[in-house]
Amino acid sequence: MKHLPKHLRPRWRYLAVEIESWPDAAFDRRAFQREVWYAAQNLLGDTGSAETDMTVLRFERRGGAGHAIVRTRRGETDAARAALACLDSVDGDAVRVRIRGISGTVRACEEKYIGGPPEAPQQRHVVFENADRSATVRDPRYDVETASDGAFVGATALDFR
Amino acid sequence: MYEAVYAHPDGDSTVARHALTAAESGFDGIVVRNHGDEPADYDADAIADEYGVDVAEGVEVRAENPSRASGFVGNHRSEATVVVVHGGDPTLNRFAVEQPAVDVLAHPMRGDGDFNHVLANEAAANGVRVAYSLGPVLRASGGSRVRAIKQLRKLRELLEDADAPFVVTAGPVSHLQQRAPRELVAVGEAVGFDAETIREGLAEWGRLVERNRERRRDSFVEPGVTVESEEERP
Repeated sequence: MKHLPKHLRPRWRYLAVEIESWPDAAFDRRAFQREVWYAAQNLLGDTGSAETDMTVLRFERRGGAGHAIVRTRRGETDAARAALACLDSVDGDAVRVRIRGISGTVRACEEKYIGGPPEAPQQRHVVFENADRSATVRDPRYDVETASDGAFVGATALDFR
Repeated sequence: MYEAVYAHPDGDSTVARHALTAAESGFDGIVVRNHGDEPADYDADAIADEYGVDVAEGVEVRAENPSRASGFVGNHRSEATVVVVHGGDPTLNRFAVEQPAVDVLAHPMRGDGDFNHVLANEAAANGVRVAYSLGPVLRASGGSRVRAIKQLRKLRELLEDADAPFVVTAGPVSHLQQRAPRELVAVGEAVGFDAETIREGLAEWGRLVERNRERRRDSFVEPGVTVESEEERP
């Protein structure tokens, strides 16, 4: 279809979203997008969900860290923020979602709030509560694996002094 | 603005990790509210220095009945900066709001707990802050979330009517469950709170911490009365 004249195109706002999870989380963009829709629909209902019209544009994740850009309609950023805050897990993996900032263009959003790709995590052996454990490290964050079934404890460099 | 967190071993993240995440999210501090039987081992000052957020030592008293709870509150009052009572049971809710020694009544509506105008007035009279727990709104789904939102509304109406003090918390058990103040405000607005109410509720923890630290100083006698140092005396 012929594209709309400029004054009739929707005005978008781009949310820079920080995504943190345990290092063994394995979800991708599609799963994240699905949870975003569910979160919006559950909190805001069908009408609110349609109003916010959230789409995940950029999505990058590595180990426990990641970020995404979520597009929403101008004027709906508070509702979008609320829905994203209610995103508690993706494919059963617990996540923390934080909005770093909101911009009017994807490029501004990337430059201002996203920066480079998520840093690569390192594996280290640590002594946690008098036991040898393996930890996934994004300095100063240590995710210590306390059981082989992927139970983690979140710690920081301060806990290993 | 403060968040009240459960740290390892009561939660999945150490106090340091909670503090680091809270600092990133824009909180001014955290209150460590581990249940009394699962205390965390940490150096509050070192963590506060490292990450630039205040770390207050608190405790959440969990007991089967009011008489045991009363004993626990007495034991912890002298050491903990913030004493929270694990609510959610009609008799314990009643006990908590009647005790000026209690700072906060947490999740009064959980389980078969309930709240009414009598308790709200009592909380106002004794200065016991009642917690609006946003946790279930953020993390539950379906029927249990609907109930939680319904109960938050009931609690809000009662506390507003009685002009009772309140705090707001997401009650995170790991750093992944923390949400930034602006996010909590947005969620609060979505479930019927004023933005200002949520901000006040988050800030109230900070005022509570400051007041209790002041009270625990040696020079403190009673509100408005302190002992001056020897040199300053005429």
